[in-house]
Amino acid sequence: MKKFSELSTRLKIAKKRANKNSFTNNKKNTSSLGTALKLSTEMVAAVLVGSIIGFILDNWFDSKPWLTIIFFFAGAAAGILNVIRSAKLMQKNSD
Amino acid sequence: MSTNPMHQFNIYRIGPEISFGNVDISFTNASLFMMISALAIISVFFVGTKRKAIIPTKIQLLTELSYTFISKMISDTAGPKAKPYFPFVFSLFMFVLFCNMLGMLPYSFTVTSHIIVTFALAAVIFVGVTIIGFVNHGVGYLKLFIPSGVPLFLLPLIVIIEIISYLSRPVSLSVRLFANMMAGHTMLKVFGGFVISLGIIGGWLPLSFTVALTGLEILIAFLQAYVFAILTCIYLNDALNLNH
Repeated sequence: MKKFSELSTRLKIAKKRANKNSFTNNKKNTSSLGTALKLSTEMVAAVLVGSIIGFILDNWFDSKPWLTIIFFFAGAAAGILNVIRSAKLMQKNSD
Repeated sequence: MSTNPMHQFNIYRIGPEISFGNVDISFTNASLFMMISALAIISVFFVGTKRKAIIPTKIQLLTELSYTFISKMISDTAGPKAKPYFPFVFSLFMFVLFCNMLGMLPYSFTVTSHIIVTFALAAVIFVGVTIIGFVNHGVGYLKLFIPSGVPLFLLPLIVIIEIISYLSRPVSLSVRLFANMMAGHTMLKVFGGFVISLGIIGGWLPLSFTVALTGLEILIAFLQAYVFAILTCIYLNDALNLNH
């Protein structure tokens, strides 16, 4: 009887460990996929929006192509800012 | 069945053509699947909350779990001030989740694989959050664009960058959901086409890939709905608490 209870305790511990491992592994995999997609869209969207704003302003002020070029780079900077921000947020969440 | 992998995204009319002025508002397969997902959500929650048993049935457990899941997500990311917006975030999450999941059924149509649908959702969020921000903070909401501790000569540049970053939110929100859904479904269809063209001898490998990808797609369907909802909460947090 004693052996039985010992075995069941050991089984419980092992099960807990296995559960924990599989859960964290799983979570890591899914979130890394999500992370890659999230960061890339974040970057692309900002560049796109920046360029579109530049294009519209160019049409307004009749200054082609200077504002488009300037706002393209501003958009890239905004994209980098977005990426850094969401990366920080992810780090905070994972801690 | 067409072998063209993009054929599944075609929108066609069901029933008569209805136009309102110059706008075509006919009932399409997209509208059908949106209605199906809305009805599915309502019926699941109607059945789930009908008998409030102490020992819940499976469907009651599902509704209660989804309630606590979203409620915890909102209070974790946006704080207690965001509680009034729970119904909105909850319906948004459920709608995106059910549209994604219904799209996983064979012969069905994925509403969220069209950028106009996801962009409309994202635009509603964007406009709503901006209004909430201005109502709560007045003109002070514009402080969101001025990070603290920036030297004066850099300020114009930083403000422009911050404004672009703010305006890119709906774009990145909508493109992410749309691209994930469309890429996944196209990939599934392409591998499915390989099964047919390679025949009974070579078709087993792409078939196993398709099975694995279906599992991955179900995961992505859930994950993207979750990301959509959690980003809404983060934007709400910016509008309500203004802690930049």
